[in-house]
Amino acid sequence: MIQTVIYGFTIGAILYFFSVGLSLTFGTMHIINFAHGMVYALGVYLFITFMEYFGNSFLLSLIVSLAAMLPVAYVVERFVIRRLYGESLDYAIIATYGVLLIGTDFIKLIWGTTPYPVNDPIGLSVPLAGLDLPVYRIIIVISAVLLFLALRLFFKRSIIGQIVIASLEDSDGVRCLGLDVNRYFSIIFVLGSALAVLGGILYAPISTAEPYMGFHILLLAFAVVIVGGMGNINGTFVAAMVLGMVMAITGRFWSQASSAMVFVVMALVIIFRPMESD
Amino acid sequence: MTAATDLRGFAVRPYSPWGIVRELAIVAAGLLLLSLVIKLHWMTNFMIFFILVLSFDLLYGFMGHLSFGHMLYFGAGAYGTALWLVYGGKSPLIALAVGMLAAALLAAGLGRIVMRTHGAPFALINMAFNEIGHFMIQSPLSGVTQGEDGLSCSADNIFGIINLYKDGWAFGFAAVMLLAVFALLRVLTASPYGILVRSIKENEQRVKFLGYNTFRYKWVTFVIASTVAALSGGMFTLVQGFISPRVISPFGNVDIIFAVLIGGAGTLYGALIGGTVFMLIKNFLPVLIPELATLLNMKLPQWEMWLGIVLLVIVFSVRKGIVGAVLAKWRQRPCGSTT
Repeated sequence: MIQTVIYGFTIGAILYFFSVGLSLTFGTMHIINFAHGMVYALGVYLFITFMEYFGNSFLLSLIVSLAAMLPVAYVVERFVIRRLYGESLDYAIIATYGVLLIGTDFIKLIWGTTPYPVNDPIGLSVPLAGLDLPVYRIIIVISAVLLFLALRLFFKRSIIGQIVIASLEDSDGVRCLGLDVNRYFSIIFVLGSALAVLGGILYAPISTAEPYMGFHILLLAFAVVIVGGMGNINGTFVAAMVLGMVMAITGRFWSQASSAMVFVVMALVIIFRPMESD
Repeated sequence: MTAATDLRGFAVRPYSPWGIVRELAIVAAGLLLLSLVIKLHWMTNFMIFFILVLSFDLLYGFMGHLSFGHMLYFGAGAYGTALWLVYGGKSPLIALAVGMLAAALLAAGLGRIVMRTHGAPFALINMAFNEIGHFMIQSPLSGVTQGEDGLSCSADNIFGIINLYKDGWAFGFAAVMLLAVFALLRVLTASPYGILVRSIKENEQRVKFLGYNTFRYKWVTFVIASTVAALSGGMFTLVQGFISPRVISPFGNVDIIFAVLIGGAGTLYGALIGGTVFMLIKNFLPVLIPELATLLNMKLPQWEMWLGIVLLVIVFSVRKGIVGAVLAKWRQRPCGSTT
């Protein structure tokens, strides 16, 4: 059972890494960003390639692939997302879905469709209450909690964070103060993408990399964002952890149902939550 | 969505039965022309897809609700029909009715939930339900549906003579169904009900202020669109004689959205033209790309990348689709609406 709980927190942590960007993009720009899945998958594949290149140095590959993905995220923001500000939601969904399709096919073209396994970089496990707990998973959970605290600090203390929080409330109001809101949005977008890449790389040793990995986590992350409330930073953390736990516990008894169960929870939340105006 | 809306569509046009007959004749002529260049068997599949696109057009084009889960109802119709053929009786029309009824009930239930939302949550919740449906067919219900292996079924002839496994009869059957759906949607969308649905797309708040219970109208439209999608799914089962969980896979939704957009959302002809263009691309591109690749002696991206690129092009330059672009040229007036 303890293993299930740890597993739940691990999945929750990864979901949190991925969903933060999605939630912020929606909260600030009102865009459902399917391209987030593209950035995630592409980052993991770059990481695998760099792993071979750097002789299995996990940290170095992580940093290099993260750095390599920042310009990609910026290009997506600059040439797709920015042109969709204030547009109807549907077009944003369709355009970013197009970006996701292009990215997926690009991965298939270069790396092929066979899944890549990634080794556990630490491989140690600590005995706890008679069970072996992999250190790596514990590190993931701790880093998610650290990220949560860091983001809270960032949004509370830094000027950029304050501006973004204000724009979540009322972006027109912020614009009236003479601030170039879009610039802060693009910072947030690139930050969110970087976190998605980080989550993907951290998750890679537990799962395998395959071209459609972006699609699969997107579906789960949408559930997280809807349950947590769109643009709600604390809500995203709680929702990610709860849904990760739902997945782990369902998976323990019925492994194929784990992701379907997430959507059942999401449906229940929608039914019992008062209607949102938008 | 903006002031650029063409208001002419909102007038209640007293249509004559002859007007509909004329339109049906145009569509039928178009179908026959198309069947001259395309194999009959393919043409049947085209028309089944057209019905699906038309049903989505009612939901998205006319009511403005973009769903990423329309395949759920296509799949429900397909599986409902197939299961009846396997475990129930052999009559194709009853099987079709069972499939449609199953999907209608499903839509009626789920519609109570999904119609509480709109915009992005609407799209995503439908996608989630579609994923659950796909999972249900694949895993918990696999004792009945055979899961990944798929389900083979066979049906008797309709009225004793119409053999759906013969290309000619199947073509005729699909064509009649398509024309019927087209006529139904033409009447529906031109009626006061249709105008209300389009008004909901423009501004739901104002429709509410006028005293209408918009939820009820949205729910009814959702059920109608889903049932028509199920008709398409059931016909797919009847004509193919075999289905697998792919018919209910959420990935199919992009195909529908793409077809509606490329033709022009919100017009029935747009759905037909978009469906045609999409099916032509889908059927010929996978053949052409490998040939082109060997010709150029290089590795070319597969079909998905081109789909993605075309989606981007549509969103950034030809939003109104083929029909919209043609109509805009046609209706240009000095002080008309600009886009």
